[in-house]
Amino acid sequence: MVSHRQGNAQRISALDERAEALHLKRDMGIADARAMHPSIDIVEADPEADRRLLEGLADWCDRYTPLVALDGADGLFLDVTGCTHLFGGERAMLNDIMWRFLQQGFDVRAGLAPTPGAAWAAARFCGDRIVVSGEEEALLAPLPLAALRIAPETRASLESVGLRTAGAVMAAPRAPLARRFGATLLLRLDQALGRLDEAVSPRLPVAPLSVERHLAEPVTLTEDIERLVGLLATTLKTDLERRGEGARTLALLLFRVDGAVSRIALGTSRPMRDPQLIQKLFHERLAALEQDIDAGYGFDLVRLSVLAAAAFDMAQADLTGEVTDDGADIALFADRIRARLGEGAVLQPVAVESHLPERAVAIVPFSEAPRRTTPPKRPERVQAPKTIFPPERPIRLFRAPEPIDVPATEMPEGPPLNFRWRRALYRVTRAEGPERIAAEWWREAPDDAAASTRDYFRIEDAEGRRYWLYRQGLYGGSQAAPRWFMHGVFA
Amino acid sequence: MAISAVARETVFALRRQIAKIEGTLPERLQAPAGAPLDADADADLTIVRRGLAAALPDAFLPIGVEPLDAALSGGLPKAALSEIHGLETRDAGAVAGFALSLASLILKQAQGLPVLWIGTTEIFREAGFPYARGLQVSFGVEPRQLLFSEAPKLVDALWVAEEAARMTALAAVILEIRGNPQRLDLTATRRLHARAQSAGRPVFLLRQAAEPEPTAAPVRLIVSPAPAVPRETVAGPLAGSIGRPAFTISIGKSRTALPGQFTLEWNPDERVFDERRGEEGRTDRAKNPVPVVSLSGGRKDPAAASGAVLAFPALGAAISPATGGQPPSGQRPAHLSPRRAG
Repeated sequence: MVSHRQGNAQRISALDERAEALHLKRDMGIADARAMHPSIDIVEADPEADRRLLEGLADWCDRYTPLVALDGADGLFLDVTGCTHLFGGERAMLNDIMWRFLQQGFDVRAGLAPTPGAAWAAARFCGDRIVVSGEEEALLAPLPLAALRIAPETRASLESVGLRTAGAVMAAPRAPLARRFGATLLLRLDQALGRLDEAVSPRLPVAPLSVERHLAEPVTLTEDIERLVGLLATTLKTDLERRGEGARTLALLLFRVDGAVSRIALGTSRPMRDPQLIQKLFHERLAALEQDIDAGYGFDLVRLSVLAAAAFDMAQADLTGEVTDDGADIALFADRIRARLGEGAVLQPVAVESHLPERAVAIVPFSEAPRRTTPPKRPERVQAPKTIFPPERPIRLFRAPEPIDVPATEMPEGPPLNFRWRRALYRVTRAEGPERIAAEWWREAPDDAAASTRDYFRIEDAEGRRYWLYRQGLYGGSQAAPRWFMHGVFA
Repeated sequence: MAISAVARETVFALRRQIAKIEGTLPERLQAPAGAPLDADADADLTIVRRGLAAALPDAFLPIGVEPLDAALSGGLPKAALSEIHGLETRDAGAVAGFALSLASLILKQAQGLPVLWIGTTEIFREAGFPYARGLQVSFGVEPRQLLFSEAPKLVDALWVAEEAARMTALAAVILEIRGNPQRLDLTATRRLHARAQSAGRPVFLLRQAAEPEPTAAPVRLIVSPAPAVPRETVAGPLAGSIGRPAFTISIGKSRTALPGQFTLEWNPDERVFDERRGEEGRTDRAKNPVPVVSLSGGRKDPAAASGAVLAFPALGAAISPATGGQPPSGQRPAHLSPRRAG
C-alpha cells in the first residue's frame, strides 16, 4: 500500500489487490486504515521514481512507434498510425504489448482507437478494446463522465444537473452546454469523437530515418552489436543516398529483453554515410561504454536512427583514385576520439577579440564549421589595427593564475627581485615590463577599477627560465596591498 | 664506368636494409634518376651509415644549426618518434618551446596541416595549457593549425597518440607526459615509433620531469632553458632586456652522435634556429657590439655583403668533416673575424 500526504493527513494513494480485499479504498486516511488493519504495510509515495519508471516504459514502447507521449502520471499514448502492419495487425500488436508488459510484471490496460480521447476512454473504462473508426460514439455513450477527460468540478456540476453519462452529454444541446460548462467540455467531446484533431506530442524528436532489426535470438556480445550496426548502416546508406544527405547525429537504441533500453548517440563532424565509418565510430563508442552497457539477457531489437542529417556533397575522385582529403581524415579522426573519450577530447583554439590574455583564446570542441564558413565582414572601424609588433605572449598559460609570494620589489611599481612559487624561491635576473592590462569595464563593473588592473612583467630567473607574472592592483590605493600571480611561461 | 643491373639491385637492397635499421624512410632511398651509380656507391653507403644526410636529404628535419645537425646525422628523423626531455616540470616552457620550434620548421614544409598536441590533464594543470596567441607570435603557428587533445588518463592519451601517429593529415603529433609512468614503456613507444615510421610523420614525445629510460625512440634530446641574450637594437644590446628564446640542448641518445651540448636560439621572425656562439663570441659582441649585432641578429648568413668572405665556404667545408659531431667552440666564430677587420 502506498501513501501520500494530502492536506494535513496521510492518505492512501495506491493499493494492491490484497489491500482491496480488506475493504480499503483510495483516499482513505492512513490512520483509519491502520485502525481497521494494524498490520498493513505502508510505503511513502515517490512520484519521482514513478515518473522515471514511466519514462523507462515509454523508452521501451519506442519499439512499437517513435511517437510515444506521456499521459499524466500513469499513462502512455502511442501513436501507432502506420505501424500496426509491422506487428501483424492491430489486434496482434495490442496483444503483443499487453503480453510483453505482463511478462515484465505490469498490470496494464490498453485500448486502441482512432482518436486519443476515445483510446483513453477505451483503455481506462473498457479494457483491451479496439475501436474502429466511426464507433467512437457507441463506445463513449454508456461510459461515465470521467471518460471524457474533464475536470472534476465540471463533472460534479454536470452530474448535479442529471447528465451522468457521456451519452447524455452528447444528446444535450451544445450551445447551453458551452455557455454553462465552458468550452473545454465540448473540446474534449469533439476530440474524442474525431471532429477535432488532437495532436499527441512525442517525448523525443522523431528521427527522420531509422532502421531496425528484430532478433529471434538476443545478442549479448559487443562484436555482434557492432556487426549489426554495420548491417543497419548499409541499409541506412541507400536511404541517405536517395535523400542526398549524410548523417550528422546518429543514435543506436538497444532494447533489452527485459525492457531496459540503452540509447547511444554520437555526432559526426561532417555528414557521413559510409557504413564502415559508422561502424568504426560505434566501435569506439561501445568500447568506451563497455562498463556502462549491461547486456543482461541480451538485446532483442537493435535500431539505428539518424537524428540529424545534412546535405552530403559528393567529392569527385581523380582518375588515379589517390586524392586524399586531409580535412575528411581529420574530421574522422576527431569523431573517433570523441566517440571514445567524449565531446571535449579534441579541442581547437579560437581567437577571440579581447585584450585579457585568458579571454583572448577560447578553447572549443573541434568542429568543422569555422573552417568552412567565412566570418561576416565587419565594418572597417571595428577591426583592430594590425600591429607590426604583436605583444609578447607566453606559450603556456596556467588555467588559473597561481598566487606567488613576492617579498620585495625594487620600486613600488617595479618587478620583483625574487619570488616564491610552488614552494621554491626564484631569483629574478632580468625583467621587462610592466605591460598594463585593465579589466574589461564593459563586461562587468568592478567595485574598484584599480583593484583589478594588472601589471604584467616578463621575468627571467637565474637559470634562464622565463615567466609571465603580474601584479594585481596598484600601490598606494585605499585597498589592501597588491597581490602577485604567475600567469604563464615563455619558451 | 657502368655497373651491372644485378649489382645495382644488390646495392638498393642493402640500402633498404640499412634504412630499416636506421629507421628512416625506405622509399626515399631511390637514387635520383640519371645519377651515375659508380664506385662511389660504397662511399655513399658509408655516408648513410654515418648519417651526414648527403644521400637522404628528405628523411631528416635539419634543425639548421650545423654542428647539431652533423651530430644528429642530418637532423631529427622526420618519420620517427623523438623524445624531448625536460629535467623538471618548471622547464616545461623551454621543452614545449623547443618542440614547437621543431613543429614550426615542419610547418614550413607541410603548409596548412594541423599540429595535434596531446596531453594528460595532469601536465596541462601543472605546466599550463598551450596558449595559442603566444604560439602564433613566437612560432608562427596559426590557431586554426592547432588541435589539442586532453585526456584525463595516460592510457587514453596514449591511445589518442597512437591513432594520431598513423595519420598523414597531421603535420606533427606532440604527446606530452609527465614523469616516468609504467605504461609508457618500451612496447608503447615502439608502437608509436612504428606508426610514425609508416605514416612518415614525426611524433614528439615531450617528457617533463622524467628520467631517461629505454624507449624505442632513436633520438632523445634533453632541453633546458638558457638565459636569453639582451634584445638587440640599433644602438647595441639593450641592457636588462630579455631577447629571443634560447635553449640548451644535450643529446641524450642518438645512434650516431656522441653526447654533446648545444645552445640554440630561436629566431621568431624568420622561424629558424641560430646557434649561440660560445663564451668568447659573446665577449666579442660585448667588446665590439655594433657590427655583430646587426649582422648576427636578424639573419643566418649575413656575409654576402662583404667581399672578404669569399674564401670562407672553402674553409668551412674543410672544417666541418674534421669536426665531426662536436663543435669546437674556438673554431665556430672564425668567420666573425674578417668582419671585425673590415
